[in-house]
Formats: sequence, structure tokens, C-alpha cells
Amino acid sequence: MAARRHCNRVYVPDSGFVVDYLDLIDAVQSVADGVLFGATYALLGIGFTLIFGVMHKINLSFAAASIGAAYVSLLILAGFKAPAILVFLTAALAGGVIGALVYLVGFKFIPLANPLATLMSTVGLLLLIDEIIVHSTDGVPLNYPALFSDVIIPAGPFNIRGDLVFVFVLGCVCMAVLLTLLYRTKLGLATRAVSQQPVASQLCGISITRVNLLTFVITGMVGGIAGAMTGAAIGMLSPLLSLPLTVKGLIVTVIGGLGSIPGAIIAGLVVGGLENFFQFFRGVTERDLYIMLLLFAFLVFKPGGLFATSAGRD
Amino acid sequence: MDFYLGLAQIIGVHTLLGLSAYCVLLTGQVSLAQAGFFAIGAYVAGMLTVLAGWSLVPALLISALVSGAVACAVGFPALRVKGLMLVVATTAFGEAVRLFFFNFTYQIQAGNLKLGPHGGEGFRQIRYFPENGWSTLDVVIFIWIVVALVMAALWWLDRSRAGAVLRAVGEDELAAQSSGINITAVKVSAMTIGGLIAGIGGGIFAHYTTHIEHIQFGVVLATFAIAYPILGGLSNVFGTLLAVIFIQGFLIEGLRFMGDWRNLLFGGLIVLAMNIRPRGLLDAGTTRALKRLFSSGKEPSGA
Amino acid sequence: MRNATVALTALLAGSVLPLSDGPLAQDRTVKITGFGAKSGVVRVFGVNSEAAMKAAAEEINKAGGVTLGDGTKAKLTVEFLDDRCNAEEGISVVRRIASTDAFVAVGPTCSNVAESLFGILQKKAGDASDSGLQFPIIADVAAKGGLAKISEWSFRNVPSEFEMYKSLMAWVKATRPELKTLYGGVEKDFAHSNATFGVMKAQAEANGLQVAGTSEWLLNDTTFSTQVRDMKRANADIVAISAHPFTTCGVLKEMQRQGVKPKLLIGLTSSSSIETLQGCAAQAEGIIIPTSFAPVTPEAKKAAEQVAKHGGSADLHSAAAYEIMFILKDVIESQKIMAKPDTVQADRNKMREGLAALKETNGLLGKVGRTADREAIKPFLYVHAKDGNWVVLHKPSS
Repeated sequence: MAARRHCNRVYVPDSGFVVDYLDLIDAVQSVADGVLFGATYALLGIGFTLIFGVMHKINLSFAAASIGAAYVSLLILAGFKAPAILVFLTAALAGGVIGALVYLVGFKFIPLANPLATLMSTVGLLLLIDEIIVHSTDGVPLNYPALFSDVIIPAGPFNIRGDLVFVFVLGCVCMAVLLTLLYRTKLGLATRAVSQQPVASQLCGISITRVNLLTFVITGMVGGIAGAMTGAAIGMLSPLLSLPLTVKGLIVTVIGGLGSIPGAIIAGLVVGGLENFFQFFRGVTERDLYIMLLLFAFLVFKPGGLFATSAGRD
Repeated sequence: MDFYLGLAQIIGVHTLLGLSAYCVLLTGQVSLAQAGFFAIGAYVAGMLTVLAGWSLVPALLISALVSGAVACAVGFPALRVKGLMLVVATTAFGEAVRLFFFNFTYQIQAGNLKLGPHGGEGFRQIRYFPENGWSTLDVVIFIWIVVALVMAALWWLDRSRAGAVLRAVGEDELAAQSSGINITAVKVSAMTIGGLIAGIGGGIFAHYTTHIEHIQFGVVLATFAIAYPILGGLSNVFGTLLAVIFIQGFLIEGLRFMGDWRNLLFGGLIVLAMNIRPRGLLDAGTTRALKRLFSSGKEPSGA
Repeated sequence: MRNATVALTALLAGSVLPLSDGPLAQDRTVKITGFGAKSGVVRVFGVNSEAAMKAAAEEINKAGGVTLGDGTKAKLTVEFLDDRCNAEEGISVVRRIASTDAFVAVGPTCSNVAESLFGILQKKAGDASDSGLQFPIIADVAAKGGLAKISEWSFRNVPSEFEMYKSLMAWVKATRPELKTLYGGVEKDFAHSNATFGVMKAQAEANGLQVAGTSEWLLNDTTFSTQVRDMKRANADIVAISAHPFTTCGVLKEMQRQGVKPKLLIGLTSSSSIETLQGCAAQAEGIIIPTSFAPVTPEAKKAAEQVAKHGGSADLHSAAAYEIMFILKDVIESQKIMAKPDTVQADRNKMREGLAALKETNGLLGKVGRTADREAIKPFLYVHAKDGNWVVLHKPSS
């Protein structure tokens, strides 16, 4: 018996390379599932990285706001049986509104030169959003409608979850739209200008507040979609999600290289895949330990991330 | 009365936690590893008093040294990166420490009981204080002697050349480097001092809560550790103390009469505080104004 | 700031109004303070416990209240404090309660809070060398096995999961002899579910079931494909899941996706609440859970209605809080508690002795036994999820 790790399982490292066929299939399937689930991390990572790219600031409340937007969509559409796609669109809109509110409350009135203050204000917002969710639902997990959840794509000995493929495609669409927005429109030009030279762009007549506000609305919408897709992929919403998703979103952002949208997508898939890889081979109690050590080593030895846009930025 | 004494214990220990992050923040670095150092201190001190039967003070000294040594060892690789990278790298380290204790079991048989850390189930019965007849007041006095010593040491450090060097690195790394300061040495020293303080704080934490488990030392505690000095302001050590009183005394205990609103206000008031006082509750300007008034920087507990 | 003022005014108005139709000033009142989690992901537990305590107090008061040591009648009032499921805050809350005239407190929700709290209490009553707090606490929810033995001042009225799963596995063996193998699933980083799984597994083996393997996950995990695939490969007759509602639902949904259909599904006691049904009623269909509460007796039905009226839901946890109020009433009367400011410590001692001396209490489902280490042996039954409701499946004759 090769390197299996069932419950009372013992990992036998010196049993050679004899991995039986079924184990191999399971291992590949596990990693593939993880990679696909990583699509939800990728969507969140895009939001984190976009705000960081434009404002050079961390918005720690982003994941909580995304989950919050998904809750709002449930709330608005609780009364009648809305088609799932409408639920997701509502989540995107709610995400945009929450994004604007987060900007106004947590960023607008705090001096730009004070990154620690906005770090803290977004921590406060994270706690606030979490508690609002808890108070309106008693913290009870709620069922969330799934999209394409019954679609299972068979591929040889493997099965691929249709809903996660959809999330992945959606992530790519978001990336395409955002890249177009950033590099093909006037708004994008203004955003990049503010990002690189805030003072100079202000002198050129660009309103920093307006650009930043729009960035928050757009990332908020991405966040709303991410929250809805996460809810759909899990099948449930719970305030339990906001903290781990915040941490995963940050991890994806830095691994992908700060400010890089394609980097965030790839990093999301990598993190998802690695999670299941260690889950499969080392079991659940050690899984996150290896992920964290690996992450620490990666950051220390490759501080620029996979796709650093420019070196030395902090 | 007992209640206020209990609160004073919590405020004291959280001040130590906040001060450990304060040292690192002075050099301009945001470290979310403090909860990890705190956890190491808690487990080491708890194991020394419960399993080895040591008395508390030497146990705290050892826990401080172990945490400090780990902080120093981590500081070298971690402080190569900065900004968000460092935030995530230190989060990763802190979580790795927590997960280590999640997997860590070391128990000895004592009578019909098993003592010691037991993986996910935690480490119970760290009852040094009650077993040795310490009253709540004794514990408060002990904790505040430690806090006063640490604050005095940091106050003195702040006023000395070393403090100027720390702040120089925090203000402008490039300028500090050009004037011949060894940036890595400074940052690692700050991290080590932070580790020492967190080790003491964690050691006391284990003893007044009597039970520790890995979940307590997660990202939330790490966030609180940096929240205290940021909220309080980095101009001097009293800012951290003030912020701990604000959070533990006012937001958590003082607002209890608000019932269900209390927890909503918790996050909301932190946001409000950062909007009104982005440089902290006790920033340099306020400190100067207070000095002019010849009054101390302390404020009564909000509870 | 203005919003805060408005909120404050609204809140004050809200808290003053109920007082006006409360007990008359000359009536004596005894305040029983509960505490537990009313914020964070476990808020629902605190909400339910508070509602149950208030409902029980109302019942007691309707029947004339409680007789104190000096023969006067007193009405019970209930206050409930939030500890955010945080050990330090739990200690703070209990110190706050112990600083008043209170002679007992009811709580907490979370086992990790109970661990710390019971640790600061005096270990052996009357031991002058131990400076621990001398204040009786009786827990309604905190479910981790063996907590009450930490201190002689700590009591619990929570069901014994050992007895429950022992009975359930024996019942499975007797009624479904064709089922031979069991596969386990456990939420590994939560002390309660982790410990309970040990019980499930041992009892399954004791009843001749072969344990084909175990899958493990963490409290806030979101993807279970690897774990469920192991489960699928083991192809066991029974799947037993020891996890709280969020991951129980996550696993059940993944099982549906992968087409894992065991012949029998067993769940964790705490998951026999509305949470599981709100999260995944369709997937949970048929899951069997032993529980110490279901509205099957007239008293239990009435209690469930009263708790609902106070804005909570009666389940195995809040029903325990409801029962505790009646236990406290009985002990107050049998121990002749004075409830006067100058008899506080004497009342606490009497309360502790009274609780420790109990051999049996009245529960909503029948008599509840008390053990020497201050735990309860509660009657229980098996429920299963049917069409989005918990339906009683079987009542073991104990």
C-alpha cells in the first residue's frame, strides 16, 4: 500500500514510488478540485489587488463586504423565488454600493500619507460588517442558491464541477473587463495616473476622490460577484467565512504580485490546488501548517510575487 | 470591586501585547506575528509552572527568552520584506505557530489527571495563582509591576539614542541607511524586543485565564496587537495603554449597558476614532499640549 | 455622533418601558443572570438561552414565584450578558456578576470559555489554600465532555453524549443488523466535535460495526471534495458526521455532488437545530441525531411555545437553560436562600451545596439524573430530518 493517508492513516515515505492507480486518480482529482475552487479566491484576490494597485492601501474589509453583498442579495430577493442569475446581479450591485460606503467611511477623510490609519479603519469596518451580518441572521448559516451546481462534467476518470468552471470563466471575464477598463478607457487612464502620480494627476485636473470612489465601486462589484460565487460554490453563507477569506484574499494578492490582476487569478488557483494537495497527502491538522510555512518562505525569498508590476513598492 | 480588578488584569496583559507590536511599529513595520510570540510565551510559561513546577517569575523569564529568540530568528528572513508582503508573511508565521500548537501534545500523568497541552483540546488547569493563594489584587499588583517595568524600559529606550535610531528607520529607511544605520540590525532588534514583551504577556495570559488553546491565538488577536498602538498613536508608550483602556475598558466592558448595540458599536467606533484621530488617540500634538498642562497622560477607565 | 445619540435614546426608551409593567416595587425580586455568546457566529445560542431563561422565569412567576429562606415570595427576573465566546470576556462577565448580590450564574455557551471560567473557580470547596473564586456556575450549553469536574463550584445540565451515542449505536445494531461498516467525518479543530467523534467511534466498534475510515476537516473549511472522495471509496453502510451545522451542511452538499448515499446518516447532537435545516434541509433529509429535547411531552410543547414567544427557539441547548431555571427555583427553596445583600457568600455556599446534593431533577422529557462530578444524565431520543423538520424517530426506553 502506497502513500495513503486515511484517518488513522500513516504516511509511509519510504514505501517507494508505488502509488496505486486509484490513489493517483484521487490525488489528481483532489488537486483539480482545489484549483477550481481556487477560482473563488482568485475573484477575491482581484478585488484586493485592484484597490492596492490604485491606492497603495490595504482594504481589510473587502472579503467581509463581499460576503455582506451576497447576504444583501439574499435579503432583497428573500420574498420571491428569483432566478439564481438575478441573485448574483443583485449581489454585484450591492457590492458596488457597499464599496462606495467603505470608501466614504474608511478612506475619504483619512489623510493619504497615513497607511496605518486606513489599515485600522478597515479592520473596524471588517468587524462592523461581520457584526451587522450576525445581528441580522443570528449568525446562522443560510442556504445560498447554486448556479450550475448539478452540472458535473465527466473527463475520463475525473469529474469536474460545472459551477466552479463557471466561476473560473467568470474570473477570466472579470479580468478581461477590468484590463480593458484600465488600459482602453479614459477612466482607466485616469486611474493609472492617480496610481502612479497622485499629485501630478490632480494638477492635470483629475479628481482623485472621484477616481478612488469609482475604483471602490468597481472592486465592490467584483467583490459582490465573488461573495455570491463563494456562497454558491459552498451552497451556504455564514459569517464564519469572512475572516478566512480575508486571509486567503491577502495571500492571493501577495503571491500574485501586488497590483497584478492575472497574477491574482493564477495565485488563487495555485493556493486552492495546494490546499487540497496537502489535505490529500498530509491530512487536515497539518495542511494549513505547510501552506503557511510555504507562504512564509515564498514571500521571504521571492518578495515580488509571481507577477510583480514594479519592484520595491510597499 | 473584584470586577474592576479583573478588568485591570486584562488591561495590563493586553498592554503588554500592544507594546510588543509598538516596538516593531516604531521601525515602520506592521507585524501580525505578535499573537504567535504571545502563544509561545503562554505555552512555555504554562508548561514550566504546571509540568515542571517552577515558580512564576523564572517561568516568565524563560518564556520571554524563548519568544524573543524565536522573534529574532524569524526577524532575519521576515524583515527582508516590507509593507503588505510583511503583513502577510508575519500572518503566515503567526498562523504556523498557532497550527503548531494545534498539533502539539505533551502530557504527563499526575494522579488521575493528565496535565499539559493536548493538541486541539488545549491546555487546561494552569492554576498557579489560585493554588498559591494569590488574591485578585495580588495578581493585579504583579501584572502592573511588570507593565510598569516594561513601559519604563521602553520610555527610556525611546528617549535614548536607540529610540531615535528606531524612529529614524520608521520615518525614512533610505535616509537612515545613508546615515550609516544598519537597518536589518535595527529591525531585528525591534522584533526581538517585541518578542520578549509578547512572551511575558502571553505567559501571564496563560495564568490568569487558566486554559489556553490554539484558537485564542489567531489572526484576531494579532490584529488587536497592532490595533492598540495604531489606535493609541505611536508618539509614546502611553498611547498604547490609552488604546487598551479604550478597547477593553470602554468598548468591551463600558458599553455593556448598550446590550445588543455594543458589538455593532465596537467596529463602528474604531472606524470613527481613526477618522477623527488618524495619527492615534494620543498623537504628538496632544502629548505636547498635555505636557504644557503639566498633567499626566492617563485617563480614568471608561468602565 | 447624532446617529449614536438617536440609537442611545431609542435604546434607553426601549429598556425603560418594560420596567413599567414589571413587578411592583414592594415585591421582592431575585435576579438570575445568564451569560453566553450573543455576538459572533454563535449568537443564536445566546439568543435562545436568554429567551428560554425568560420564558421559564415567566412560568415560575405566574405560579407565584419563588419562596425565599425567610418565607417571603419573590419574583424571578433574568438578565443576560454577552461574552462573545471569548475566555477573557467570560471571566470579566462572571467577575461582574460575582460583584453583585447574585448567588449563581447560568452559562456559558462556549466550551473554551467554560474551561477558563471553571479554572478560576476554587477547585475544592472550602479549601482555604485555594484563592479561586467561590461562586457557583451552572452551564446550559458548553458541551465538551467532563468540564464540570474542573471545579466543585461548576455544574452542568448538558446531555451526556457518551450515553446518547452508546444507545444510538446499540439501537442501530439491534434494528439494522444488515449495516456492517461505518465511516466517520469530524470537524477536527473544535474540541467538542472532536471529542464527541471519539465517543461515536468507540461505541460503533463496541457494537460490532467496522470503522472503515475517517475524514477530517476544520470548522471554517469550505471545500470537502478530498474528504468526501475518501468517504465514497470506503463505501460504508453508515456515515457518522461529528460537526457543527456549517460544515455538516458543506459535507452533505458535497456528498450529494459526488453521489455518496449511505444507508444511514448520523449527525452531531448540536446539529439537531434549525441551523442545519436553514442551511441544507434537502441534503440533510434522513440524518439521525440523538437529542435531549424535542417537543414530545406536554411540558416540552409548552416550553417550546413559551421560548418562541420570547424570540428564541427551543432546542437541546436552550431547553437546558429552561430546565435550569426550575432547578434553581427548587434549590433556592430547599436551601432557604435569603437573597439579601448581607447573606451573599452564605447564599452562594448554600447554592453550591444544594446543587451538589441533587440526585435527580425534573427535565422537560422526564427525570434527569445527577452524577457525583456535577454532570447531568438526561433522557434523550432520536430525531431525524424529514421534509425540512426534525421529527422524532425513536424514544429509547432507558
